[in-house]
Amino acid sequence: MLFNTIEYVIFLPLVIILYYLIPFKYRWGFLLAASYYFYMSWKVEYIFLIIFSTLVDYIAGRRMGRLPDMKSRRPWLILSLVTNLGLLFAFKYFNFAADNLNLLFQKFNILYQLPAMKVLLPVGISFYTFQTLSYSIDVFYGRQKPEKHLGYFALYVAYFPQLVAGPIERFSRLTPQLKSKQTFTYSNLANGLRLILYGLFIKMVIADNLSGLVDKVYSSPESFDNISILKAMFFYSFQIYSDFYGYSIIAIGSALIMGVRIMDNFNTPYLSKNVSEFWQRWHISLSTWFRDYLYYPLGGNRAAKGRWMFNIFVVFVVSGFWHGANWTFIIWGSLFGIIYLIEKEINKRFNLIKTYKPFSIGHILLALKTFILVTLIWVFFRSQSFNDAMNIFALAFKSSRLKTTALIIPVSTWIFLAIFIISDILLYNKRFDKHIGSLPMAVRWTIYSILIFAVVVFAGVENFPFIYFQF
Amino acid sequence: MSIAKKIILKLLLLTAILVVMNYIYVKWFYEKDIQKYSNIIKLVRDVPINADVIYIGESSNITFRGDDIDKRPISSFISDYYPSLKFYDITKPAAHAGTYKVLLSQIPDSSKVKTVIVTLNLRSFDATWIHSKLETSLQKSTVLLQQYPPLFNRFMLSFKAYDIKSENERTMQVRRQWKKDIFKLPFSFRYTNVIEWDNGFAHAGIRNEDSTKNIELTQLACNYIKGYAFQIDTLTNPRIKDFDDIIEMTKKRRWNLVFNLMSENTEKAKELVGDTLIYFMEENRKLLINYFSRKGVTVVDNLNDIKNNQFIDQKWTTEHYAEKGRKIIAKNVADTLRKFYPNEFVEPVYKKISQNVFFNNCDDKNNVWFQMKTITDEKSFSQPNSSKTGNGNDYSVAFQYPFNSIADSLKNKIDISFKAYMNFIDKKADLVIQADGKNIKPYSKSWSLTSQITKANRWIDFNIIFKIPDKIKNADRIKIFIYNPSDKIVYIDDFRIEFK
Repeated sequence: MLFNTIEYVIFLPLVIILYYLIPFKYRWGFLLAASYYFYMSWKVEYIFLIIFSTLVDYIAGRRMGRLPDMKSRRPWLILSLVTNLGLLFAFKYFNFAADNLNLLFQKFNILYQLPAMKVLLPVGISFYTFQTLSYSIDVFYGRQKPEKHLGYFALYVAYFPQLVAGPIERFSRLTPQLKSKQTFTYSNLANGLRLILYGLFIKMVIADNLSGLVDKVYSSPESFDNISILKAMFFYSFQIYSDFYGYSIIAIGSALIMGVRIMDNFNTPYLSKNVSEFWQRWHISLSTWFRDYLYYPLGGNRAAKGRWMFNIFVVFVVSGFWHGANWTFIIWGSLFGIIYLIEKEINKRFNLIKTYKPFSIGHILLALKTFILVTLIWVFFRSQSFNDAMNIFALAFKSSRLKTTALIIPVSTWIFLAIFIISDILLYNKRFDKHIGSLPMAVRWTIYSILIFAVVVFAGVENFPFIYFQF
Repeated sequence: MSIAKKIILKLLLLTAILVVMNYIYVKWFYEKDIQKYSNIIKLVRDVPINADVIYIGESSNITFRGDDIDKRPISSFISDYYPSLKFYDITKPAAHAGTYKVLLSQIPDSSKVKTVIVTLNLRSFDATWIHSKLETSLQKSTVLLQQYPPLFNRFMLSFKAYDIKSENERTMQVRRQWKKDIFKLPFSFRYTNVIEWDNGFAHAGIRNEDSTKNIELTQLACNYIKGYAFQIDTLTNPRIKDFDDIIEMTKKRRWNLVFNLMSENTEKAKELVGDTLIYFMEENRKLLINYFSRKGVTVVDNLNDIKNNQFIDQKWTTEHYAEKGRKIIAKNVADTLRKFYPNEFVEPVYKKISQNVFFNNCDDKNNVWFQMKTITDEKSFSQPNSSKTGNGNDYSVAFQYPFNSIADSLKNKIDISFKAYMNFIDKKADLVIQADGKNIKPYSKSWSLTSQITKANRWIDFNIIFKIPDKIKNADRIKIFIYNPSDKIVYIDDFRIEFK
């Protein structure tokens, strides 16, 4: 059930109405059932994976809670890690590993070939496994008390607004909210709906319309001229941003109506002055997850320079690999790591770390530089293979001898993209719901009307699932 | 103000805004969206207001065989019997009752239509067709045509309110349905559902004389099993509901309604699989005829009327008939229509004429060549249409004819002429002549269009006289067309071929 389908348009209000009508003590059960139903709408069988992962982490958490020190807890942590990462490996990375090993076997004339697994990647597996892992690790370190109520723990793992593509929530933040008796408030309803409306606008009007154009170029780049390829690269930056940002704020809005505040996942990332800041503003829940559960355990920045550089690089490579089982994602992550380290060095040498006033010339130039770098790196993220990515670069920056055509871009696409960019600039360090809520009613409703009309009339009609659903 | 009051006020405001939006949408956007996302509406809009009879169907109406002398659709052959009536066809490949229902609902009230002939395809009741991969795009194309306010329809389209499924999911649906549908037979049969039957048959296989398995025939037989071994449940089969809706609609509009049950290749089914499969087909036939007759619909029963040799696809299960087959169906329908038009019926005379001049200006629907899908009104020499090639459409309207039906005295030269229009000079576009047959080696010859067309953005004559070599005089078929594999567009019009 995608957020931008009629099923969700019916599902969400129904769940919200029943949620507030049902006596408090049954709400967790109802929300859990709704969340499982939501997940099963993709593929019924995969619910067993979530249930399995939930049970293992619940038991591991409970057991760790009874043990006095980290040494005795370690086997239970290992059980949790092996289970979650094992599921992830089996469904997401096995074929990648098998393909690469088979290539290696071929190279050394070993006749054995590992078979490929013909299974569909369960939607959201990377998200909910990371969410439950954070719980197990926190319990292991004693930062989190183990949850006694299996139902609430299961709800933490499967809470539908953020189940399939995040934001990846921490147990300590989400569960207390799920446990407390939420009352229906007008401001939560209004803010939630504002976020959902804006999320639908940027997913359906911006991302889905750009998606068709980007797909066209990436599927046969040779047919297009240099400018069209550059446009496709530019569009992809906004496609992936609006696609994932749209999903995230619909999730946040949906939860908010139920009184649950989910963490923000994006904060105008394309206005970042450098890559380091970009990662503080892009997919925030994942960045902070890697910071807390990988970077810090590796030693963070409290280490020698060489070790710190190693830590940074590892985090980016793992982050790339988390996104997908393909060398392109590893390259994508590595490039971010390299640029991060180079930028840190340059900033230090040339004293560029000074604070710039928002939208000063310095800020604008640095943001432009960051955007261009990120746009170039996205090419690896979008391409199916390293060769495809290099082909895109070659065609974008070399003159082609083949006959090429220009990508035809509807005027409405430019107009709405411009609206989105302007609104992103206006929302610098602000959130849509609160900013809109502070405007006079006439202005507010004019904005709502434009967004509703755009969503209904200008939405892309092709079915483009959210990009991050594949991770 | 209480929360309830606040919400009600906002809902009222929203309703008012939506009403205004609907007005704006209808005024400036709806028509463009219809053209873009529901272009099947064009099929309905092309129906003249004074049409008397509408024939609605899928590819069975228009598919022809290369050696057909008369390549016209079934609907045209029916109209031969009623020269005083205006017939019009609405043909959409892979369509079914669900599509027909939406299309028929779009026929304006001002239309003078009195009779509607609806294709009743037995296989369309089967799981394979119900869950076909073409279903997503078919359903999508009808969303904007529903009988709701246009803005609501657009909302439904934007929010994907149609059955979106991947090819894989559709295959799974079919298998689930096959597994679920347990055969209910009055005799003992070793298989309980179509999956078992298919597997069992595939395992046993059809044997060659040397007792090896004939893979090709076994696969074909299995296709027959998968296509026809089903039992229609009138309570659950979605096609029944769609046909019922059509009946209701035609009653309201006081149209005569005829369901045209298409012929299936029962001869082949019997030969490959045997009587049990024929039992399924016959039972479904009886059920459909009884069910719809009871509802007052006239049903034309063609099920067993066409022999195997008139089925075009010999390696698949389709309802595509050669000329003689199409004429048989047309006659059956025409005979039935006498009930409504007793005085208009005229027995047509199909004379065997020796034709040597063929002309296609891309404007006459009854002048059927291959690749009629390339016809466009974007540009034309003789108004309003031409054939558009290039950028994915590699072939122009293509002439194909049984060469052995051309008199020997006219097999010396072919005079070929047409008009061509190029946006850019396209060196890849060629005129091609091909010949093949049992007694000759496949033959092909081509000429670049740029040998005569040297200027872009204008209509230019292309003309050659081709001396027919002796080695192809015994060919069974001859094909003449423009082949344009480039991404540049070339329009072709007024294609004339004369055998001399």
